[in-house]
Amino acid sequence: MNEHPITLHVMDDLRRSRLTVFFRPLLSVPHFLWLALWGVVVGIVVFLNWFVTLFVGRPAKPFQSFIAAYLRYAITVGAYFLYIANPFPGFTGEPGSYPVELELPIEPEKQSRWKTFFRIVLVYPALIIAELSIYPVLLLFFPLIGFAWWATMITGRIPRGFRDLGANALRYLGQVYAYYYLITDTYPCSSPYVGMALGSPVVTAPAAMETPAAAEEPTAPEAPEAPPKA
Amino acid sequence: MSKSSRRLLGLLTFGALAATWLYAASRLWRTSVPADLKLPKVDVSALVGLSELHRAQHFSFVLDLFGLAGLLLPLIVLALYAKWGHRFIGESAAGPIGTGMMLAMLGIAILWIAMLPSNLGQLWWLRRYGIVKTGYAEMVIGTWFALGSEFLGICLIILIVMGFARLLGNRWWLAGAPVFVVIGLLVTFVQPYMSGLQPLRDHAALVQAEHRIAKREGVTAVPLKVENVGGLTTAPNAEAMGLGPSRRIGLWSTILDGRFSEPQLEVVVAHELAHHKHNDLWKGIGWYALFVFPIAYLIARVTRRRGGMAVPLAVPLFLFAWVGLTTVTLPIDNAFSRRLEAEADWTALQATNNPQAAKALFVSFVRTTNENPNPPFWDPILFGSHPTEAQRIGMVEAWQAQHGG
Repeated sequence: MNEHPITLHVMDDLRRSRLTVFFRPLLSVPHFLWLALWGVVVGIVVFLNWFVTLFVGRPAKPFQSFIAAYLRYAITVGAYFLYIANPFPGFTGEPGSYPVELELPIEPEKQSRWKTFFRIVLVYPALIIAELSIYPVLLLFFPLIGFAWWATMITGRIPRGFRDLGANALRYLGQVYAYYYLITDTYPCSSPYVGMALGSPVVTAPAAMETPAAAEEPTAPEAPEAPPKA
Repeated sequence: MSKSSRRLLGLLTFGALAATWLYAASRLWRTSVPADLKLPKVDVSALVGLSELHRAQHFSFVLDLFGLAGLLLPLIVLALYAKWGHRFIGESAAGPIGTGMMLAMLGIAILWIAMLPSNLGQLWWLRRYGIVKTGYAEMVIGTWFALGSEFLGICLIILIVMGFARLLGNRWWLAGAPVFVVIGLLVTFVQPYMSGLQPLRDHAALVQAEHRIAKREGVTAVPLKVENVGGLTTAPNAEAMGLGPSRRIGLWSTILDGRFSEPQLEVVVAHELAHHKHNDLWKGIGWYALFVFPIAYLIARVTRRRGGMAVPLAVPLFLFAWVGLTTVTLPIDNAFSRRLEAEADWTALQATNNPQAAKALFVSFVRTTNENPNPPFWDPILFGSHPTEAQRIGMVEAWQAQHGG
């Protein structure tokens, strides 16, 4: 069962670079800055999109694409920060560019005007659960004190359980914000079996690097994982 | 246009640029210190005592060794990174500029790891002499967190360099260098607002003295502020900072802790005010601008062998070339800085007319900082942003001789 319009795809081989894990919070700093700057514009766009959705009955496509790119990017940054994925993410939120990626509807869906009008109130329970669930994960992944951090630093691989736990927290957060930001009117689902696709990429062809270096040493494709046992 | 005409035009352009560069450099190099001023040889041991002098020499010798490590280690580490750093490209799923940023950050991170033993050794030495109060864990964690702002800075640099390189190819330096100068200007302007400066309290006499000195020198008084560094160090210091409306004089709390007399503090304030009077911060930016263009040009030349700065593969070499070239220009930068500091000392002597206080201040600096007043010749070349204490005391004596003191 995987029926939610917002799905997190995890296409990751659990291998981690100890060097980048050690510096991961700092390597994420430029991303957090960019996320904050982009977020200011997104806030305005979400506000405008709310009016559009309220009057037209569905979000405006350019707004939807813009917000979706931001959400996709935010989740890749979260995945990088929590070493749920290994590579350094890009800054554009381009689909198909990262092993842990949120799949969002491309075409704006028809949405209930009532749900749109009361969205800011309706989202609150889910928002509170999402925020509360991310803190234990942060603690678990925190440098020097987190089990996940030590396990990853010692073995050079993140244990699958920790990775899936972190991915689920991000998946739920992604669904909550997609609901909040009017990408969908389907309420976030707290079940770990809904909206999670392990081992299946969003786009099959990886985004090509434009550099000669990439031609010399292509990034090794992430090995797909076995789907979770039912 | 024929090949020979193009070459001639190129040579003429280069000659005109070189002449402009030399003229600008010579203008910045000039100071108001009399060119024929001969500094007498100073017997510092007679002023500070032989045991104090030996202590300062011993302290400075070991500190210089750490300083040399601080110059050489980055060159070695970044040379290795320039050779092998491209292997980290596989760690990125970002585009060329994002990958370049990641490579630059990883280069700095590796440098931080490589420098850690040397930095801890230096801290041990400074703590042993009571100059620094920072703990070892505090230093490691503090510098680890400080890497965050360094990462932001290097990402901005890579964004500018690679962004222009993708637009202009190997001529990126023509657009990049002016942007770096503007950033230098902005940083200098905002520095006083970012330094946590506190209002100067309980020193009304010093504020009055500053106004008196400013009036005598025909300049506007600059706000005196305090930088609270008492928890970190015992070393005394003061600095002129800011441009235009942001101009300030920042006095470290350690210089106001009672070890220096009021007349000595007046000399300090007069020295910092002299920096503002002579527009030394503007001159510093001008000097930086003179070097940033050729350095950026040379980096563009060097990184061509890795495909130019438009591709992330060149970033490790960029880091090495950048640090290498700034190390090469370090002696001339230090020489320029020493000239400005010497001029500020001279102006402070004129302004305060109190050579005894100036001499006592410089003698106190030997005692409180443990710096060797007569270091070996290579020390000021590599590390000396100020004249040695012996030279500063010598200048006081030369001033006294000129003014019949």
